[in-house]
Amino acid sequence: MSKDGSLGYLTTRLQDAINWGRKNSLWPLPFGTSCCGIEMMATLASDYDMARFGAEAIRFSPRQADLLIVAGIINTKMAPILKTVYDQMSDPKFVISMGACASSGGIFNVYSVLQGIDTTIPVDVYVPGCPPAPEGLLNALLRLQDKVARGDTHSQRRMAEAAKGNIARL
Amino acid sequence: MSNNSDPRTQLTLPSGITVEHDPDDLWSDSRMIVNIGPTHPAMHGALRMAAKLNGETIESSYCAFGYTHRAKEKLGENRTFHQFIVYTDRLNYCSSLVNNVTYAMAVEKLLGVEVPERAVWIRMIVSEIARVVDHLVCVGINAVDLGAFSFFLYGFHQREEAYTLIEKLCGARLTTSYTRIGGLMFDAPEGFEKELKAWVNRTRKVIDEMDRLLTGNKIWHQRTIGVGVFNKEACLKYSYTGPNARAAGIDVDLRRDQPSMFYKNVEFDVPVAQNGDVFDRYAVRIEEMRQSLNIIAQCADRMKKGPIWAEDKRVRIPDKDVVHNTMEGLIHHFKFFMTGFEVPEGEAYACFEAANGELGFYIVSKGAPRAHRMRIRGPSVYHYQGLSSMVRGEKIADMIAALGSINIIAGELDR
Amino acid sequence: MDIRTPIPTNGGDWLTKFGETWKAQAEALRQKFGGAIEEIRMPPDYPTDVPIVYVRKEAVAEVLAHLKSDPAFEYGFLSDITATDEMTDPRFEVVYNLFSHVRFNRIRVKVRARDGEAVPTASSVWPAANWAEREVFDMFGIRFEGHPDLRRILMDERWVGHPLRKDYPLKGYQIFTDAEVIHPELLDKG
Repeated sequence: MSKDGSLGYLTTRLQDAINWGRKNSLWPLPFGTSCCGIEMMATLASDYDMARFGAEAIRFSPRQADLLIVAGIINTKMAPILKTVYDQMSDPKFVISMGACASSGGIFNVYSVLQGIDTTIPVDVYVPGCPPAPEGLLNALLRLQDKVARGDTHSQRRMAEAAKGNIARL
Repeated sequence: MSNNSDPRTQLTLPSGITVEHDPDDLWSDSRMIVNIGPTHPAMHGALRMAAKLNGETIESSYCAFGYTHRAKEKLGENRTFHQFIVYTDRLNYCSSLVNNVTYAMAVEKLLGVEVPERAVWIRMIVSEIARVVDHLVCVGINAVDLGAFSFFLYGFHQREEAYTLIEKLCGARLTTSYTRIGGLMFDAPEGFEKELKAWVNRTRKVIDEMDRLLTGNKIWHQRTIGVGVFNKEACLKYSYTGPNARAAGIDVDLRRDQPSMFYKNVEFDVPVAQNGDVFDRYAVRIEEMRQSLNIIAQCADRMKKGPIWAEDKRVRIPDKDVVHNTMEGLIHHFKFFMTGFEVPEGEAYACFEAANGELGFYIVSKGAPRAHRMRIRGPSVYHYQGLSSMVRGEKIADMIAALGSINIIAGELDR
Repeated sequence: MDIRTPIPTNGGDWLTKFGETWKAQAEALRQKFGGAIEEIRMPPDYPTDVPIVYVRKEAVAEVLAHLKSDPAFEYGFLSDITATDEMTDPRFEVVYNLFSHVRFNRIRVKVRARDGEAVPTASSVWPAANWAEREVFDMFGIRFEGHPDLRRILMDERWVGHPLRKDYPLKGYQIFTDAEVIHPELLDKG
């Protein structure tokens, strides 16, 4: 709080504290569909151990998770389901698009494959690779933590705009 | 309620589904229709099942899939034979090396190309490593689904060590693209046999440890013995292959019964169980891993130095030395990668005992660098087809156990 | 060099091992079914790894049932059902790959079908044919007569066209805004 009693300074500091808490306790929802899902499991298992970064509490219910890791191909049959899962998550929510298929369709530029999940839901961090090594996913998690600390993810920016009254609250 | 003599009514749920409802029957409201998947954690990626439950018992169900369909068969008609190698990795991504080997064998059959001895031994080694890895993942995840988390960690640690070996061969972990048509991407590095044997010894110990941890466990017995039974007749009806069929007493293994490569020259046993339940599938897989390790050890002993490429100008990728220093080599290089090599007219069905069962490539060639038809026979399709009749009358929690034990891999299910 | 070159490490002994059996089986099939067998293509004369038996489509279920259970054949295991789009008349060939758990040899049965014609189902012979035929229907649009539950399997139920036909574009995307719903009436077909 400032000396003159205005809350602006306090609010930002509080927001920083909240974001610090958020970034260190991400609860992932693993949306693993194919090859990348196996590498995501390897990241969660003992050798790479995502728990070191505070993201080990896997939640399969979208209501209880705040990080959606889309690992693997999303095709046109799956896309509406992904959108539903994303919509069911409560704000703030973050999305990691893991692997070439999820990020851009990769080597599968064909009739059934969605050419990038960003045509359906907003993505915060893309992980290249087919599939990315577990180190790649861990790096993406750290990048996402930086973004969360800055309040720079899609969801946080939308929340900030809504708090200012610029856009409608979801 | 239109008819008073029959108190049963049609009850429409908010989701638009109509169920029969009998207000006089205390248990009638326990009957419901649930949708499991495609994002359910136990549905292994992208499988979906709609089940009508009575309490917890599945009365009837049907399965749906196609949520990871990537049109690999269509791509097979639009990519050259060389380019298609990368797509075979993404079939059964737990054991992509077997897919690479089977695909290369299919095209080599059409071309009439014989690969040299060393390449065949290395192909056998990588196939068996892939089989061990696939079985480790399968039994590990099956155990996780039933709550045995530490078992999964043992398996996944040993899998990481296998990936270190695979990385030494081809630089990739999961999507290896290791074989080339008529050879291999790289030769095995210096001292690979020694590392391989060390890994085999360590893995033997780990598998024994896993065996001791779970096989005698009482809770594991209660969750698996007599659960998800699929007997011999049902397996034949539904074209079950691989460990799932052998767990029910079908004594067929394509490595032994339709031998390709040098499987005739190595000694191994084919484990067969009788009951065809979840426990037997688990036990067959554990024993198969041991047999695979035996095969790897024998291959490592017999492997000799030598060429890894077939002496065939059509399929041989030109050496970089020639490409960078001669005009002809450069032209050959461009021709090879841009138009591809032509495969003579004919059709072949090449199949091999993959980790899950019979993996087949049915290729029809019309003499072009691209296939006229590239059909992939994934064993998971047929295994998944039997699931509905396998779990009829069982508890819904046992469906999870049964599904994990038949090891459906979405990549080769949807292709 | 082509498929007729025997490669010892890749099924090169099939012809020496099963050549006589196949010849006898081809003869037996011709005698038993006569006009229902259109032609039989044997391996060394035609570039294929196993004999291909072309069957008139009316008789296919009967021939498959005979191949499955007759002691001279015993192809009890259905490896696969698929189809090819030949772009000629008749347009499609439905392919049945069979395997014997007794002799460990294989055989291939083919049925020619025009666009729009239905082929008798094999799901009465092998229940495993159910999904394989659904996939052929989904990908090629070939209908199977007497099939218990012929609907799309890999693609969305609202999909238009059949992707593996040669005239379907590789990038013919179709986007849906809502997911497929479950159909309670299908529960008993399982």
